Amino acid sequence: MKSEVLTALGEALVRGSLTDEELLFQTGAGPGLPILPDANVIKLGGQSLIDRGRAAVYPVIDEIVANLSRHRMIVGTGAGTRARHAYSVALELGMPTGVLSVLGTFVSMQNARMIHYLLARHGIPFIEPAQFAQLPLYLEERRAVVFFGMPPYTYWQQNPAVGRIPPHRTDTGAFLVSEVFGARSMIYVKDEDGLYTADPKKNRGAKFIPKITLAELASLDLDDVVVERAVLDLMAHAEHRRTIQVINGLTPGLLTRALEGEHVGTLISAD
Amino acid sequence: MSELPDERHHVRSLLMRESLLDRDLQARTERPVVRMLPNVHVVKVGGRSILEAGRNVTVPFVEALRAALVTKKLIIGTGGGARSRHVFSIGLDLGLPTGVLAELSAADALGNAHILGALLSPEGVVAIPPALFGHLLPLFIRAAPGVIFNGVPPYSIWEHPPAVGRIPPHRTDAGCFLLCETFGCKSLTLVKDVDGLHEEDPRVNPRAPLIREISAKELRRRSLKTLPFDRVLIDLLENARLLKSFQIVNGWKPDLLEAALEGEHVGTIVHAGD
Repeated sequence: MKSEVLTALGEALVRGSLTDEELLFQTGAGPGLPILPDANVIKLGGQSLIDRGRAAVYPVIDEIVANLSRHRMIVGTGAGTRARHAYSVALELGMPTGVLSVLGTFVSMQNARMIHYLLARHGIPFIEPAQFAQLPLYLEERRAVVFFGMPPYTYWQQNPAVGRIPPHRTDTGAFLVSEVFGARSMIYVKDEDGLYTADPKKNRGAKFIPKITLAELASLDLDDVVVERAVLDLMAHAEHRRTIQVINGLTPGLLTRALEGEHVGTLISAD
Repeated sequence: MSELPDERHHVRSLLMRESLLDRDLQARTERPVVRMLPNVHVVKVGGRSILEAGRNVTVPFVEALRAALVTKKLIIGTGGGARSRHVFSIGLDLGLPTGVLAELSAADALGNAHILGALLSPEGVVAIPPALFGHLLPLFIRAAPGVIFNGVPPYSIWEHPPAVGRIPPHRTDAGCFLLCETFGCKSLTLVKDVDGLHEEDPRVNPRAPLIREISAKELRRRSLKTLPFDRVLIDLLENARLLKSFQIVNGWKPDLLEAALEGEHVGTIVHAGD
């Protein structure tokens, strides 16, 4: 049996323009393959969680370990305060966004290594981007892997519209891992219950938002949000990852419940 | 402002305790940017249009590159051409996502980079392995008149899902643009098999008028059916701090390369702004 994609569309792709919207539209036809539909992607906040040290990190590690028998987990790490320091130094010296991206990668790598050592006795590896081909094996054998959350864009990081801070950081990197593998969930573990109408660390009057769509979020036009704005932009076009959940990692048990599919923080959805 | 209790351990810095997602904070990080490689030009050489177009096209253009390398430092990015498009079609048929297609396409442009590197070997200009390329670029470009890389940005499985369809939006034009912007290079020239941007695809309508110069904003407004470069370049140009224009030139007219590198207007110039 001849496939339309391999005949008509394949021919059009080889000969035609990849900027042609009609041709691009055809490339979206048909269901995409969820590569790892049973895997959960968990992102551990840098400033919000890991920079708090043992008091915040150990209970989360215990919870990850307790869930190894029930869930497959791809654990990414944020960067946090040392990235802020490196960005500050680099900004003052006139470094471009692409160099800041390299610096952020180093810090999120440190955090990934630390999380990895805490999980090492359970046989859980840390993988760099070049080792993602081994990820399915590790998930099958050990049920979890640790990776650094920064997408490996380095010098190819795009400028933000405003300022110099790389717009695609560890929230985005984790999101894209969840999207490309068609994973079961994307859980952001931070130090707030989820999304608020303003930064709750600075504004005691900020109101909690348990559930919101991208359209509603856009209409609120918040000055501060709990996940990178790029995640929201990318989710609008995502094929698999249409919902994310932000939970409070300082509250014991929430990660376990989020892994079970419960709504325990803020759910942000594309639809 | 009274701070709420904070149990996080901070390193003192300008951005300490801040949410990097706060708009006011983001605006405060706007600073002038240094140019790391201000005297180097970036040239993107089309895959399908130049490197796979046959000896009669490829060889004269490679000679033009060889001549340019005598007086200029060049970072040369290559396109993936027909093989990338073929692997896209197979991948799509298999249901593979955008990130996987992006990962796969890096290999085709790398193949073309090695072909070009073999031809420019006498000049000491070779294809650099992608894993080394970014970090060692200033060293390589000091040591040789030019370097070659696969123009593919290292987005791989972290490629963004596009608004329409599943083809990776950041392809080799985008990879060359982003590199040129980050390193603050002197110019970006995209070498294709057309004289520049036309009102319509000149392969479909050979009489379509050439647009000699256009702004990103005008380009967005006109939303032409096809472009001779990755559409995401419009977004990238609008956010660029150092690279304020690029030029598309016809590599089937090899003399135009040197002219473009000298800053002459010999194709279509797309510039930022209104």
